Amino acid sequence: MTERLRLEHAVIKYGDNTAVNDVSLSVCSGEMVFITGANGSGKSTLTRGIAGLLTLSSGTLERNGRMSYVPQVEEADRNFPARVREIVLTGTQRPGRLFYSRDDRLRAEGAMRELGIDGLADREIRTLSGGQLRRVFLARALCGEPELLLLDEPCAGLDAESHEVLFSVLGRIIAEGCAVLMVTHDVSDLDWINASRIITLSEGRIKIS
Amino acid sequence: MNGFLELLSYPFVMRAVTAGTLISVCASVLGVILVLKHYSLIGHGLSEIGFASLSAASALGLPAMAITTPAVITASFIIMYVSQRYRTAGDIAIAIASSAALSLGVIVSSVSGQTSNMSSYLFGSILAMSDSDLLLSVMLSAAVMAVFILFYNRLFLITYNEDYARSLGINTALYQAVISVLTALVVVMGMRFMGTLLISSVIILPAVTARQIASGFRLLVVLSGIISLIAFILGLMVSFMLNLPAGASVVMVNAVILIIVKVLFRK
Ligand SMILES: Nc1ncnc2c1ncn2[C@@H]1O[C@H](COP(=O)(O)OP(=O)(O)O)[C@@H](O)[C@H]1O
Ligand SMILES: [Mg+2]
Repeated sequence: MTERLRLEHAVIKYGDNTAVNDVSLSVCSGEMVFITGANGSGKSTLTRGIAGLLTLSSGTLERNGRMSYVPQVEEADRNFPARVREIVLTGTQRPGRLFYSRDDRLRAEGAMRELGIDGLADREIRTLSGGQLRRVFLARALCGEPELLLLDEPCAGLDAESHEVLFSVLGRIIAEGCAVLMVTHDVSDLDWINASRIITLSEGRIKIS
Repeated sequence: MNGFLELLSYPFVMRAVTAGTLISVCASVLGVILVLKHYSLIGHGLSEIGFASLSAASALGLPAMAITTPAVITASFIIMYVSQRYRTAGDIAIAIASSAALSLGVIVSSVSGQTSNMSSYLFGSILAMSDSDLLLSVMLSAAVMAVFILFYNRLFLITYNEDYARSLGINTALYQAVISVLTALVVVMGMRFMGTLLISSVIILPAVTARQIASGFRLLVVLSGIISLIAFILGLMVSFMLNLPAGASVVMVNAVILIIVKVLFRK
């Protein structure tokens, strides 16, 4: 088992407000780790720190392998003039490559099919529901062929069918060796899949591990 | 109409029209990114700072463009950084700083007795274009076009969601810098014929108009450029036929097109 993510004594602050306080965790390939906790407990901050969007005030972050990040859907600009297919394709971008290959396009189509949004490929994103947009973000993350997948509240507002799609996809990529770190504030999400570990945050600290 | 075509046969008019068209197309294409990223203020701020710098340079007898170009480029980096970092509070700070710069420019100009210069900086003069300006605008347009063609996928991604781009390991600061520099150059070139007070309209209006019609980013970029091109030529014709200031006429035509499109394409 390859270690895909290792965080040691991570501290993340917004000004004087310490949102993540002394958090250590590791995720290996094929593992499914949940992060739970109340609103404002620091889950999103922790995920954004791992994704490289916030810098640690102290502690260390080590990542190895391709990472895909599925942000909270609330952060998205719903009014941007773009179609579903274009957004999904962006998941294949990486440094040093400016154009999409045929392979990238095939992977994007495959990811949309797997998430059941191939019928929406030409829709403008502003016409989508929150649940549909979540699937779009998931498809975008998948077509980057991640070895580490970070998901921030991917289930909020999903209907039962979408839940099933999400967890069957997660099951597949975990079986293929992807390391998954998923944030949820809803503990009933834990019933859908076998978790390797459940980490509960409270005021930025790990409560139960 | 015939008179307008006849006028084009003068090389200095042709030069001005060509350079002006190129710059306003560049402005409107960059404007798409600036409008979508909610940096609409930047053009306005930069031109006011450019005005202050032009006034100060000419009051001190220094070469105006050699001073103003780096000053505006620096300002564009600061403005992008501040508005990204501090959002609304940043926008307010930029508005205050740039109007202070504008006032300073007005004061410097009047104290040093350069009021005729001042009016041409504020309202522009389409005939201010020299041969080297034409060359510069051709080069600038080529650069803007190259950036949009080569980096289209990146610009799309970064404009839509910069955080996501960063999570993929993409150097978003680099692209931000490229857009900052190009915007600064467009403002410096454009403020001389459009005027300090009006160049930002040429950056924003065509993009806002195109936004009413276009449903995708690529179409938006192309349409914004086409609208700007049409508005510039029409504006110049109007200005010639009715004997009105060129910059103001171009902006008026842009505004009229926006209103017509708004009415026709009400969503
Ligand atoms: N951009 C921000 N600036 C300042 N404080 C923030 C910001 N985002 C979150 N916080 C604060 O950090 C804490 C943790 O927030 P967050 O990570 O979003 O929690 P969760 O995702 O668990 O609901 C909260 O106290 C919140 O107010
Ligand atoms: Mg959150």
